Amino acid sequence: MLIMGEVRTGLLQNSAEVPESDLSSVLGLLAGERVRISRRPILHALSPDLLTGVDCLLPSAAQAKIRGVGTVVSRCSITGGRVVQSSSYVRVTKAETGHRLPWSHYLARPGVIEVLGKAAAADLADGFLAFGLPGEHLDVGSISDRLMDTVQAAESLDRASPFRSTQTRLRWVAASGEPGVRFVLGEGVERRVRITYEGEFSTAVLDLCEDLALHDWLLTTLLVIVERARIGAAPRAEVSARLAPAVDALLHLWMPGARIHPSLAPLWESLELAPGFTRQWQSLVERVRDQFAVNTLALLLRETNPV
Amino acid sequence: MLVFAISDKGGTGRSVTSSNIVYRRALQGQDVCYLDFDFGSPTVGAIFRVSGAARGTLKGGLHRYLEGEIAEPTRIDVWVESDRDALRSKPPGAGQMVLFPGDEGGAEFPTFEGEMVERCVRLFAKLQEQFDLVMVDLSAGRSHAALLALAATARLPKIPCRWLVFHRWTRQHILAADGLVTGTHGLLDAGEAHGHHRALLADRIRFVRTAVLDPGAAELDGLRDTQKTWLSEFDRELRELASRHGVGRTSMLGKVPLDPVLQWREQLITDEDVQGTMIANVETVVAFDELAKKIVDDAAWEGL
Repeated sequence: MLIMGEVRTGLLQNSAEVPESDLSSVLGLLAGERVRISRRPILHALSPDLLTGVDCLLPSAAQAKIRGVGTVVSRCSITGGRVVQSSSYVRVTKAETGHRLPWSHYLARPGVIEVLGKAAAADLADGFLAFGLPGEHLDVGSISDRLMDTVQAAESLDRASPFRSTQTRLRWVAASGEPGVRFVLGEGVERRVRITYEGEFSTAVLDLCEDLALHDWLLTTLLVIVERARIGAAPRAEVSARLAPAVDALLHLWMPGARIHPSLAPLWESLELAPGFTRQWQSLVERVRDQFAVNTLALLLRETNPV
Repeated sequence: MLVFAISDKGGTGRSVTSSNIVYRRALQGQDVCYLDFDFGSPTVGAIFRVSGAARGTLKGGLHRYLEGEIAEPTRIDVWVESDRDALRSKPPGAGQMVLFPGDEGGAEFPTFEGEMVERCVRLFAKLQEQFDLVMVDLSAGRSHAALLALAATARLPKIPCRWLVFHRWTRQHILAADGLVTGTHGLLDAGEAHGHHRALLADRIRFVRTAVLDPGAAELDGLRDTQKTWLSEFDRELRELASRHGVGRTSMLGKVPLDPVLQWREQLITDEDVQGTMIANVETVVAFDELAKKIVDDAAWEGL
C-alpha cells in the first residue's frame, strides 16, 4: 500500500495571533463536528476530517493511464494562532473488481483510493512527487489549497497579516518498511518527503509530515525575512524594523517533534542530523537577536555620547 | 494591496506606466506582482522582456485559470526569466517581481459568471497574502475584465484596493477618463451594481496623466515663442477642463512626462537607460518612483 499526500503551510491572514476562543470558528469547516484544541506544549487546533470524492487518473512517472476511485481525506490546523496548514492524503490500494462500484462502497473506506487495473507503487510515488506531470491527474494539492482558502476567508480574520509570506507545498509518500525519512528541498516552494514506517499506517505519519512542513515553512520564512533585512547594508533602525515581525510572530513557534508519536521520533532525529533543521534555525535566531542587541547598544551609546 | 490600472482609450501608456510603477516598487524593496487582465491583447511579457510570454503564455495563463481550466495560473519570476540583462539579477534589497501573463490567443470574456468571480476572489486573496502590491492591468474601456475586478473586490472588503485611471493630457482623453468613472455604466455605476459603496469606491479612484508635455521644460527651448505661448495657454485650458470634470489636481495621483523611449518602445526604464546609455530622461524615472510611493501613501488617498 502506498500513501501519498500534500501539506500546504502558510501564515494565517490576521494582524494578531488568533486567540484560542476564535480557533473553533475559524476551523469550523464542518457543521456539527468539533475542532480539537490542545494547549501544551503549543496552542494547536485541528479541524475535523473532510472527504472529497474522486474518480480520476493517478500521476504515473511512466505516463501510464491509471484510474483510481475513492475519497481524499483533508484537514486543517492552526499552530500558535499564526500558522495555518492544510493537509490532504490518500491511501492507494488495488480494487477487487475492474469496474467502479456504487459510492457507498468508497464512502465506507474514507481516505482510500482503489486502483482499477494495474499500478506499481514506485511509479505512482515518482509520478506524484514530480509535482504536476502534464495532463489531468489527481491533485491533492488543489484540495488542500481550496480548504486553505476557505480558512483564510473566515469572518473573524482581518486579512491584515504582519508581513507578506509565501506558502510552501510539501508532498510526501509513505510505505511500510525499514523506518526512514528523506527530505528534498525543491526549487521554489516545493518539498518532497519519502517515509518508510514500521507496522500499520496510522495518522501519526501524517502528524510527522505536517510537523515537518510546519518547521520547514518557519525556516524558509525566517530565511527570507533575514535576507530581506539587509543586515550590514541597510541602516540599523531599518534592519531592526524589518526583523521585528519575525520576533513578534515566528521565533517562539519552533518546537520540532512536539506533536509526534514517540515511535516516529527517531525519524525527526535523523532529519536533525542532516539537513539539520534546528541547527540552521538556531543560528538564524541568534543572528536576529544579535542584531537587536547591537542596535540597542548603538542607541544607548548615542544617548550617552551625543555627537 | 490591490491596484487596478484602467483607461478609457487605448494608447494611454497604461500598461507601460503601471509596469514601471511595479518595477520601481520592487526596487524600493517591496514584493510586487503584475497581472495581465488585458485578455484581448496580452502584451505585458514584452514590456518585461520575457520572450516566452511576449504575446501571453501557452502554459496556462490568467485567462484559462479564470475559465476554470487550470488550478493555478503560470507565474514568471522577472528577475530570473527576463531576457534583459539589467533585469535578470535582483538588486540587493529589492523585492520579488512576478508576472502573471494572459494566454496567447486569449480573448476578452464575452461575459462572466459566478464561478469566475469566485476564482478571481481566491486569486486576489492569495496574492495579497504574498505580495505587498498586486497590480492588475485591465484592458482599455468598459470590459468584462473590469466588471470581474469590481465584482471580486466587492467580495473582499478587508483587502485594501485602489484604482488608477490613465489618460493622456488632451481634451478627448480628459473627457473620456471622466466618462469612464462617472458616466453611464462607468466604474461607479458598475461598482455600485456589484455591491460597492459608491462614495467609498470614488475615494479609491485617482487619475494618472501620461505623456505630459510640460510647457516650462528645458527641452522646449527650441520652440518658437508663438508655440510656447500657445502651449501654455492650451495647458491652462486643459487644466480648467480637467478640474471641471473631476480629473483635476486634487484627484490626480501623478503625471508622467513625455519620454521618447516610451513612445517608441514600451519598456521598463532602468537606471542604465538614464545614467548609462542616457536614452531615457531622469524626470521619467522620478515620476515613476514617486507614483510607486504615492500608490501606497494613505495621505495621497484621503477622501476628497
